[in-house]
Amino acid sequence: MWAASLFLGATATFAEESDSWFKSILPLPGEYVAEETYVGDGDVRRGPHKSVRDFDENDSILQLVFTPRIKLGVLRLGAAWERFSFGFPGNAPLPDNLQSVNLVIGLDTQLSDSILIRVEAQPGVYNTGFDDLSDDFNLPFVIGGTYIYSPDLQIVLGVGVDVERKYPVIPAAGIRWRMGRQWVLDAVLPTPRLEFEMNPNVTLYAGANVKQTNFRVDDNFGDAHGIPRLNHAILSYSEVRTGAGLDWKISNVVTATGEVGYQPYRDFDFYRANIRYHHDGGAPYGMISLHGAF
Amino acid sequence: MSNPRFLAVQSCYVVADAPARQIEALRRWDPTKHRELKIFLHSDLPANPTAANFEKLKNAPDNGPVRAFVAATQKLSSDLQISRDEAKKISAGGGGGGAMPAPVAAFWTDVLTTRAKSFASSGTSGQAPYDHTGKAIRASEELNGLLREQEKIRRQFSGFLGATGIGRGAGSLAPELYWELLDVDDQGVVTLGASYSRSGTNGSYQAADALYYASGGYYVALTLYQMWPVTVDGKASTLVWRGDMISAASLGSLHGVERLGSESVMMKNISKAVTLFRRDTSGGR
Repeated sequence: MWAASLFLGATATFAEESDSWFKSILPLPGEYVAEETYVGDGDVRRGPHKSVRDFDENDSILQLVFTPRIKLGVLRLGAAWERFSFGFPGNAPLPDNLQSVNLVIGLDTQLSDSILIRVEAQPGVYNTGFDDLSDDFNLPFVIGGTYIYSPDLQIVLGVGVDVERKYPVIPAAGIRWRMGRQWVLDAVLPTPRLEFEMNPNVTLYAGANVKQTNFRVDDNFGDAHGIPRLNHAILSYSEVRTGAGLDWKISNVVTATGEVGYQPYRDFDFYRANIRYHHDGGAPYGMISLHGAF
Repeated sequence: MSNPRFLAVQSCYVVADAPARQIEALRRWDPTKHRELKIFLHSDLPANPTAANFEKLKNAPDNGPVRAFVAATQKLSSDLQISRDEAKKISAGGGGGGAMPAPVAAFWTDVLTTRAKSFASSGTSGQAPYDHTGKAIRASEELNGLLREQEKIRRQFSGFLGATGIGRGAGSLAPELYWELLDVDDQGVVTLGASYSRSGTNGSYQAADALYYASGGYYVALTLYQMWPVTVDGKASTLVWRGDMISAASLGSLHGVERLGSESVMMKNISKAVTLFRRDTSGGR
């Protein structure tokens, strides 16, 4: 009992200190994510005879977006970094690292009292590392709308556009439905989930995380792996994670998330060179994250 | 608004009949007829309220929000917006039929009676703070904070509000008092309100409706009306400007698009209430 009281007291103190620390160092309102995922050994295969087996993955994400209010709505200005690192064996014809370093430039605005619109571009460098940034620039963007049918039900429609993708325009739709006092179905890509709010500070959820990003490999990647047409080629990397997790709201500006699950799908597709390593064996994963808005 | 727990929207519309009749219609309007407004009980209070004026509480409907309200009361939830002294008066245990056990109804009857009496004699300045847990929140400070952040509105209504008990001690204008049991985010909430109106020049009116106490969901809410007489298609009508302001702890945790969304929801709810009011009072344009 004493220990629990001390712990709760310390948490409350930390919450107040973290809130004021964020507000003191950051001049504008915003949101942030720091996330790390480890995926255990999985397999991919190309045709009947070529495969890459027992490789693990680290996915690291850092994102800071300022969200100042203007007359038109809420601006979204920031930067993001994501790096996939794979533990490939030997001379696997796949890049060990995939990395994006991009700006976030967007706007959330009200079209009417029922419709919110988001336009967001992520211009940046999408490649395999910091070695050669010459012409690895890309500008994927999303345009989406939320129809607020009621405080409990919202319908989301949108398109994601990436000229480097096999199918440059991908539409998406989803709903966010507050089914009861503690239950929320947030069926919106890329992270559809069913949430159960245990209390105002703790939410349990089960859901998925769908990822697809296009990266350009370096100028000599093909030569180094005996497939010259892969030099400077576009690689579409896709993966799906399904799992369950817990959001713990430590303070108004800090939420910690822990998630575990299974990765049932993964795909490396040099679609323009017609070389594709598709999923052949899933793997368990674990994710921890600190995120919030200030 | 710079205070993260404040939200405000403004709307404008035209209704049939002159401002004086609109004021009367607002006074008579019964929002409980419309389920979508999620107001379960509404009852007017006399100038000197007694426990008997809250009898209806015993007949609260048996539904999820009311059950959640009863459960929160029985466990003296930290979400309850009451003072430390009020918290000491709660007696656990069930008993009594219906959705509202007798001890719970008795507790809230006592809280509401005391607070309504206090408002009648001392305005919002006399309201006990919400200090059962966490920081003390005072109704007067919240109401004045809402107005301070909207200087043009505050200036427009300063003379009128100075004669009310909103954000100060009891004013010279007599309030029309009421209480309600309503649903805020699937949680039952009991609330106390006071309405004021005053005629101005050339047939115009100003009115105010303050929810100066709530057991949860929001700290305070204030709606101001400015009404001007106009003629539409040869008929006497009223041009209404309405400003709605609310202070709620839950708003403080909303950022970016979430805050935009909550503004949209507030606008939708106000628009719904205005539409129903115009329909009930007929001939809205």
